[in-house]
Amino acid sequence: MISSHMRLFGAVVALLLGASGPAPAQQLELKLMAPAAPGGGWDQTARSMQQVLVAAGVARSVQVTNVPGAGGSVGIAQFVNGAKGDGNQMMVNGFVMVGALAMNKSPVTLDQVTPIARLTEETQVIVVPASSPIKTAQDLAVALKADIAKVTFAGGSAGGVDHVMAALFAGTVGADAKKINYIPFSGGGESLAAILGGKVTAGISGLSEYEGQIKAGKLRALGVTSAQRLPGVDIPTFKEQGIDLVLANWRSVVAPPGITPEQRKALGDAVEKMVKSDAWKGILKQKGWDDAYLGGDAFADFLNKEIARVTEVLKSVGLVKS
Amino acid sequence: MTPDTASDNLPREPPRRIDRAGLAIAAALVVLAAVLVWDASKLPATTMYGMGPEAMPIVIAVGLVILAAGNLIDALRGRLPPRESMDPKPVWLIIGGLALLIGIIGFGGGFILATSALFVTTSAAFGRRAVAADTVIALAITTLIYLAFDKLLTLSLPAGPLERLL
Amino acid sequence: METFAALAHGMAVAMQPMNLLYALIGVFLGTAVGVLPGIGPALTVALLLPVTYKLDPGGSLIMFAGIYYGGMYGGSTTAILINTPGESASMATALEGNKMAKAGRGGPALATSAIGSFVAGTIATIGLAFLAPWLVDFAVRFGPEDYFALMCVAFVTVSATFGDSPVRGLTSLFIGLTLGLVGIDKLTGQARLAFGIPELLDGVEVTTLAVGLFAVGEALYVASRRHHAEEKLEPVRGSLWMTREDWRRSWKPWLRGTLFGFPIGALPAGGAEIPTFLSYSTERRLTKYPKEFGKGAIEGVAGPEAANNASAAGTLVPLLTLGLPTSATAAMMLAGFQQYGLNPGPLLFAERPDLVWGLIASLFIANGMLLVLNLPLVGLWVRLLAIPQAWLYAGILVFATMGTIAAKPSVVELSMLAAFGVMGFLMRRFDFPIAPVVIGLILGPIAESQLRRALAISLGDPMVLLQSPMSATLLGIALIALLAPFVLRGLGRFKANED
Repeated sequence: MISSHMRLFGAVVALLLGASGPAPAQQLELKLMAPAAPGGGWDQTARSMQQVLVAAGVARSVQVTNVPGAGGSVGIAQFVNGAKGDGNQMMVNGFVMVGALAMNKSPVTLDQVTPIARLTEETQVIVVPASSPIKTAQDLAVALKADIAKVTFAGGSAGGVDHVMAALFAGTVGADAKKINYIPFSGGGESLAAILGGKVTAGISGLSEYEGQIKAGKLRALGVTSAQRLPGVDIPTFKEQGIDLVLANWRSVVAPPGITPEQRKALGDAVEKMVKSDAWKGILKQKGWDDAYLGGDAFADFLNKEIARVTEVLKSVGLVKS
Repeated sequence: MTPDTASDNLPREPPRRIDRAGLAIAAALVVLAAVLVWDASKLPATTMYGMGPEAMPIVIAVGLVILAAGNLIDALRGRLPPRESMDPKPVWLIIGGLALLIGIIGFGGGFILATSALFVTTSAAFGRRAVAADTVIALAITTLIYLAFDKLLTLSLPAGPLERLL
Repeated sequence: METFAALAHGMAVAMQPMNLLYALIGVFLGTAVGVLPGIGPALTVALLLPVTYKLDPGGSLIMFAGIYYGGMYGGSTTAILINTPGESASMATALEGNKMAKAGRGGPALATSAIGSFVAGTIATIGLAFLAPWLVDFAVRFGPEDYFALMCVAFVTVSATFGDSPVRGLTSLFIGLTLGLVGIDKLTGQARLAFGIPELLDGVEVTTLAVGLFAVGEALYVASRRHHAEEKLEPVRGSLWMTREDWRRSWKPWLRGTLFGFPIGALPAGGAEIPTFLSYSTERRLTKYPKEFGKGAIEGVAGPEAANNASAAGTLVPLLTLGLPTSATAAMMLAGFQQYGLNPGPLLFAERPDLVWGLIASLFIANGMLLVLNLPLVGLWVRLLAIPQAWLYAGILVFATMGTIAAKPSVVELSMLAAFGVMGFLMRRFDFPIAPVVIGLILGPIAESQLRRALAISLGDPMVLLQSPMSATLLGIALIALLAPFVLRGLGRFKANED
């Protein structure tokens, strides 16, 4: 397929450079896959990386390819099968892919890739319309325990981060997560309209998406999922309200399976150098992303824990067969 | 949106005999309905409030069966619109061109070769005999397109041996 | 009055020579990229966004608006000239537009499309400036049950595209509905009709279906009939420009299209497809020249094109007032704002009126620029049809597959394109109408998920559909529209039997 000649291309490049071992960092010629259509979050991450890696002199060239489909399931299959052992390729991914792979019964899993680093994350928030009788996260917990079917949550796609969070919230406060009435909407705009129009009880989304509405007083934020209060955000965390719910919608970058430890280190170093550059910091600020750099084995640990947690939640709500 | 068949030449006596193609269409609709029901029956029952994912396929399947009956009646009464004779050769040429395109992309032959193959076969289907000249034209056009996408839009089209030379 | 002053100031900014130049570049780039099928305005904006990074906020927004409108217009150009709708919203345009082009009336078709877009865009932009706060209040109250009822109205009007046999029309529609089931179910995440192929999980892409049925199917059909008589395409027959008659027949559809497009576009889940279909079927019903429909009626181009453009301006209502990106394009607009650290929303009008009004002013400018750029090009565009037939169709096929290859370079997607092409050929041969298939694919999934959302919220109580006044009204309209033709036809048949 397409990726088999990518490998060939990598080999040709390696031959041309006369490099048998890992190429020196300055000569990295990277291929970066965004397993989504151009324009989306993963694509923007990949294209920002491309920009910074080249501008900061970490890589000589970076080529972004888009392989959209099914929350990244199509992309990762191509990546794992086609780029195996190629130390010049990376793929952008994130939280959503974990759930998508489990739900789509993908034969390829995230266990197979070589984790490189987590890059960014976004805090999640639960909101209610300003006129709602629910004032705090505990109020919502009480409502859930009283009649879980009547508490409707609006959020993004089934099995995505919002859905997982609704189930985690219900489970944490002692309601039956299996019975949550979660209503997926396509796109943040549509679900926000449903919340503002009072069609649903509560809404779940990334904080930045609803920040304007919260500041304008049209939505009330019940809590955020960060471990500590965020600087400049006057919203209590769930933790300080006695609900142990910490979660972030993260994005990361991974390498193909079967690369050598040296190749892994070279890629890890390149990403670290990129993250520390001013150009990257500028991009984070411009796009409103939070820096969440976590490299090497620490990220591998984190990834494994997230996979376990998400799979369990999706099983509990019946989206994944156990 | 009726295609411009010979409807201009009406009135014409409708042939009063069973239309085989109509029977095939009715049968195909029934098969499609069966596939829908079979697929819906495999959906796991998930806890959901309201309507599940299997309801809509069943509704559509029922509609398809009714429409199959309608098409069957039309076919038996020979009420299908008259068809002109067709020349199958150019059709197969174009389909062959599409198959070539898919094959070349699938096996990593790249955008330029794939779309050039389609161009040449289609042009031949429309009666052109100058295959060599058409090949040159096709290669030139598709190379330009490839360069425009790659350099101006940074959108990478599938690359093959030719693209790597650029 | 404040609004006028703010708008006047915005205009003054946008009219600076440098900004006019940016608008021109934006419109040009947008049109050039937007003509590619499968690459709609959203993707066009996404691809060209980096170009605008280097400019100051004002200039950047203006170029942005130009790219946006240019991208939309580009889709219509290919729909009219080569029956290849660049995006789902220009599908209705292809129905009559391409017939006009084949009859040598491509010039007036392109002109009514450009001028209609300008008129609709201008009216809708005025609406945006003055009605936005009021309209958004209405839009937010539109719930899932109301959307479902709106879909019912849209479904009923589909019959306008059925041709002369209801059985064959409905068959086409149901094939479209079946295709709409393919992929991951939005509400439960379960895969339907995917047969274990990961590429099918995202469902059937509207542009793949439309391009396959329209462009590829047409090429196959024309090729199969070549031995009868070579189809002669005359690029220009009669006037290249709109005649007085064309103007007379266009202006009402423009206005009606705007009336459909702007409010529905302002609905968070309204989109551009529904208003274009509604406009098409309305024009078909109201026309004084029913015999021309299906053979190239100018009303069928003027209305949908106006609706398409007006809905684009409508999308900006929730974006600017609530920060709600309700379409892929609006999401890209949001990205455009965010590069200046701005979050559109309730506070934007208060915090940065200069930028909001600057944007609205640049929409006016971009719209005008589109007219300036495209009307002189109409003559050039229609010459495309003078290319020898073999090269023309070969070029169309390359062009049609190119969009698919660029957007989704997979063997499965290309195979679908080819399969839809063969399907389009067979449907033409056996006289099944083609438009209902695409309409079924677009409307089916929306209707299904909105109905199921409404039922999930009401815990399965179907009465929710009648309890909302808006939904009850729309369902009533749908019912009347559904029954009226049957009653009329029944009467007609009764009379015919008496003869």
